[in-house]
Amino acid sequence: MKIDRRSFLAFAIGGAAGTALTPLPWKLTDDSSIWSQNWPWTPVPAKGENSYARTSCTLCPGGCGLMVRMVGDRAVKIEGLEGHPVNEGGACALGLSGLQLLYGATRVRAPMKRVGKRGEGRWEKISWDEALAGLAQKLAKLRNDGQSHTVAGIVDGRYGTVSTLFKRFMTVYGSPNMMTTPSAGDTRAMVLQVMHGVEAEAGFDLENADYILSFGSGLIEGWGSPVRMFRANSAWRESGAKVVQIESRLSNTAAKSDRWIPINPGTEAALALGIAHIMIKESLFDSDFVENYTEGFVGWKEVVLDEYSPEKVASITGVDKMTIVRVAREFATAGKPLALCGRGRGDTPGSLSEAMAVHTINALSGNINKEGGVVAVPPPAYAQWPDMEMDGTAQNGMVKNRVDGAGSDKFPMAASLLNRFAAGVAAAEAYPVNVLLVSGANPVYTTPDADGFKKAVDNIPFVVSFSSYMDETAMQADLVLPNHVYLERYEDVPITAGLQRPMVGLAQPVVQPLHDTRHVGDVIIQLARSLGGGIGDAFPWDDYETCLQEVLGAKWDALSEEGLWQDESFEPPGWGESFKTASGKFEFMNPEMGLMPSYVPLGLEGNASTFPLVLMPFDSMRLAAGFISDPPFAIKVVEDTLLKGKDTCVEINPETARSLGLADGKPAVLSTPKGKARVRVHTFQGIMPGVVAIPRGLGHTANDKYMAGKGTNSNALIGPVEDPASGMDKAWGIRAKLAKA
Amino acid sequence: MSTLEDQKHAVSDKETESPAAPIILFFIIGFAASLIIGWGIFPKLLYSQKRQPIDFNHALHVEEVGGECESCHYFREDGRFSGIPNLATCMECHEDVIGASAEEEKFVTEYVIPEREVPWLVYARQPDCVYFSHAPHVIAGKMTCVECHGHIGESVQSRIYEENRITGYSRDIWGRNIAGLAQNPWERMKMDDCSKCHVRENVNQGSVQTQKGGCFVCHK
Amino acid sequence: MKEAHGQKKNKKFGMVIDLDKCTGCGTCMVACMAENNVSFREDESDKLLGSAWMRVYKITNGKPFPETDVCYIPRPCMHCEGHHGHSPCVSVCPATATDYDMHTGVVSQIYTRCFGCRYCMAACPYHARVFNWWDPVWPAEMEKMLNPDVSVRMRGVVEKCSFCYHRYQHAMEKAYYEERSDIEEDEYQTSCTQACPAGAITFGDLNNPEHAVHQLVKPDNRHGGRPRNPHAFRLLERLGTNPKVYYLSSREWVRRAGDNYVKNEKAGSGGH
Repeated sequence: MKIDRRSFLAFAIGGAAGTALTPLPWKLTDDSSIWSQNWPWTPVPAKGENSYARTSCTLCPGGCGLMVRMVGDRAVKIEGLEGHPVNEGGACALGLSGLQLLYGATRVRAPMKRVGKRGEGRWEKISWDEALAGLAQKLAKLRNDGQSHTVAGIVDGRYGTVSTLFKRFMTVYGSPNMMTTPSAGDTRAMVLQVMHGVEAEAGFDLENADYILSFGSGLIEGWGSPVRMFRANSAWRESGAKVVQIESRLSNTAAKSDRWIPINPGTEAALALGIAHIMIKESLFDSDFVENYTEGFVGWKEVVLDEYSPEKVASITGVDKMTIVRVAREFATAGKPLALCGRGRGDTPGSLSEAMAVHTINALSGNINKEGGVVAVPPPAYAQWPDMEMDGTAQNGMVKNRVDGAGSDKFPMAASLLNRFAAGVAAAEAYPVNVLLVSGANPVYTTPDADGFKKAVDNIPFVVSFSSYMDETAMQADLVLPNHVYLERYEDVPITAGLQRPMVGLAQPVVQPLHDTRHVGDVIIQLARSLGGGIGDAFPWDDYETCLQEVLGAKWDALSEEGLWQDESFEPPGWGESFKTASGKFEFMNPEMGLMPSYVPLGLEGNASTFPLVLMPFDSMRLAAGFISDPPFAIKVVEDTLLKGKDTCVEINPETARSLGLADGKPAVLSTPKGKARVRVHTFQGIMPGVVAIPRGLGHTANDKYMAGKGTNSNALIGPVEDPASGMDKAWGIRAKLAKA
Repeated sequence: MSTLEDQKHAVSDKETESPAAPIILFFIIGFAASLIIGWGIFPKLLYSQKRQPIDFNHALHVEEVGGECESCHYFREDGRFSGIPNLATCMECHEDVIGASAEEEKFVTEYVIPEREVPWLVYARQPDCVYFSHAPHVIAGKMTCVECHGHIGESVQSRIYEENRITGYSRDIWGRNIAGLAQNPWERMKMDDCSKCHVRENVNQGSVQTQKGGCFVCHK
Repeated sequence: MKEAHGQKKNKKFGMVIDLDKCTGCGTCMVACMAENNVSFREDESDKLLGSAWMRVYKITNGKPFPETDVCYIPRPCMHCEGHHGHSPCVSVCPATATDYDMHTGVVSQIYTRCFGCRYCMAACPYHARVFNWWDPVWPAEMEKMLNPDVSVRMRGVVEKCSFCYHRYQHAMEKAYYEERSDIEEDEYQTSCTQACPAGAITFGDLNNPEHAVHQLVKPDNRHGGRPRNPHAFRLLERLGTNPKVYYLSSREWVRRAGDNYVKNEKAGSGGH
């Protein structure tokens, strides 16, 4: 039988007919379509037992309580903790992105030793034993050479067991150079030191105030404890409380307020004193408080009446006279008025004289330590530490002058002046800095004149970072000893962000540590023990967890059960007991020390002809600008009027844009005396002509590709201006130029 | 001339020699072959035969543990179903070898001691797009386990797991029968099978487009 | 429409967003992304390309300094009902990948049926739908944080806010387990509602007079669900989409902007 074309066709048609009568074509079609939906790179998350783990957020000082939803042993969602007094179930964009910090690509997965040059990003993974042995050896040698004081440390804050362990270590080791990341809270605390004579944190009973006068504070931009502020803002809407926002730019706070008072940049103190002037002139102040519980009113009153008349203040601030008078009267006659300061989120300390000026109108209205007013909250002192003994070397080291000049004759009240550190290192007046330890901070990015700070760090022979993330400071380090991420560790979380009573949260691990990281508390204890002698004796605990439980004592039970401890019985003392100054009363000023509530023009860096504009940074809830930088979810929600492609967008008034020949969306070059950057223009009617606003939190060069290389670091363009009164950085801006690209 | 004509005739004679037979024959061969392939060989090629990591004896456990299916397959407090027991559940009894079988020894050696979850092959696993909840069916709908899963509790051995090589799903989804015909729910459970019962019981028939079940009733 | 098995009245899940309280903080956007496995890319500054189910817009009153004012408007999917369940997007889908459920009022989106023609994206007047141009990438260990209750999408499909319907599914599951046949108001809340730190978002059953959303806006079902509360409004009301997301604002310029009022147009003159 010959097989020709016809028979082959017959065979094929028979085959086709038969196939059509089998399930094969239908099944294959169905299977192929299913196959096309099952690409192996589309993950199918595993199911598992659902549970919730409670912890405290540590990404900002706000102290929110968190519930983390777990599926099996995976953390899948962070949610706010219902019933927590700070956040009541709410959260913020940064807090909710926290899992991306835990599971993200910026994590340092093991101790890293630098190979190659600093900043090259080449690392060698080493074991913890090797890392700690190497560091201990270096520290021991310095100590033996009598150079213990040349070790400097930077930590996130003054309170909490980790910061205390650091301080304890530095003390018994023999170095006074312990610094903290500065903030407006430092200035407010100093105001209480000067005017109340107490060591306290400034708390605000905002929820009970009915007239809030904010001098540039970003009440819904992240000031204080952000979620608490959002809830307070909503509560004000319902209670009818009035919010007046004094700011050069229409921030979200200004837009949400009942009245926005645009003001010439940097003149807030003048306005505060102008209000004081009217309160004094029209006798609209609390005479009981002023006459019986204050000192120096007569002298101070003369200055205010002389120098801060409404006409003078109007010409300084650009706010018209009638508004000044009206606001002053509204403030003074409100039932529970409250004046707030600390620009934006409060990341920079600001001027002491300005903070004092704002505090005086609180004093005049008698809202000190009262419902709805300013509360001097005692600093968190919930831990009991065993005594420590300092040997000769330690004692010698501790009396040396600090590199940053804090506590010196010039700045006797300051505890830490990180803004002066770079200059101190460069000058190396008394001694150089040989080792820098950095924990919970990213000063190479966050310090104003960031490039200057980086140069100073270049001069320090040995830099150690305890960061969990490969941030800018870790990139400049010689050794990275990664801490567990907050979701992997125990730590007490003292909440001092403007709350009106002492409160401490507890961060608890929700997952086992993912990588070869170690709790920084454990590292300090181990380091101390390996140095031995008096240093080792000061750390009589096996590990951090034991230390935490012991020093917290009875509070540990409350904390581990509730996740929170608050002093519910706390009541601010009456005026009779509130003030511990030399006079025993509230002091309006301290002229001998040169501490006056006053308006002192900043003296912006740069000359007005080269740099005709004024550059001011602003804060956004969607852009973290501190130790933690935006995870991918957070940077994703940043508006395209702040970040476009790889360019930061700067905000200017359309009038200013026109005069400079710039158009909305077009590239431009922003220059300041500190540097220049390519930016894009965003024209916005809500900003004063002549002012340029730049968002904080962009311009990272480290971390991962979701954050690095986007925009400009505002800290690189703005430099610090030293406040002669406090030593802290009082700059709120700098002169700038904006030209076509 | 005559030879050409003769040749023509010869050719045409040849052509009338029942030429259709080979063609029909080829058709029949093709037809039959494709039927055999489609019905017989195709299913064998399509499905791979896999064994469960441990040959589990349900009947023995039902007897020993007592209770019904709920002893190991239960609802959690949030209403979710626990599914196949995890290692911790098995370890409540099997921390060490308690029986005589080689399979149990294998279980303890390879899974209990190294604390490794057993990678059970789930016959009823639906695609990721499917949302199935036991609670409305078992508790509100008062259905029994056997109604959908069959008499698996009486088995002494684990059934072979047949996996579709193209889709990666169990044979039980499309149907044990290659034509997708099934008598019982445990033989086939595609969308139409779920829908058939939902329509019959009038469950959430709120869809505007289809006048049948809303999509989110069974999908996520 | 057949009455549901075991359920009484049809539910109509909806949302009320108080624009006086909204601070523009962006928490709702992140909460939604974290809950629903929404993807992210390296450059998200081109907002037309990125995937966002909840988006917060910023509008201004157009006045010059210093009379400028701004308002933030969070915009999830409106779950439009149209006329009797004919949402604009549902009406045009050739694959029945999206559907309106009369029992809950939720517009579903099933990724396995969608073949990415994007007709629904053209139909939606609110730009609520987004398209996955690329396969999502979860770097490092971030696949671990994916929520198993929500399908993970691949490229080529359209996605949108689902009013966190998986939370409804699991709330009902719990109710069945506890031998109830219905859920309480607080048992089903969307992720954005839960996260909003200002308490600006309220979610619930618009058909239930005891639920907060009903009390806040008092919808008039005889007039396409229009709110009776004079401070409440819906976006693009006059298109007749009958959306289920209502907004509250004490500022008239915001209410006017919500329906594109022309300069001298009188308030309340729009709509069908």
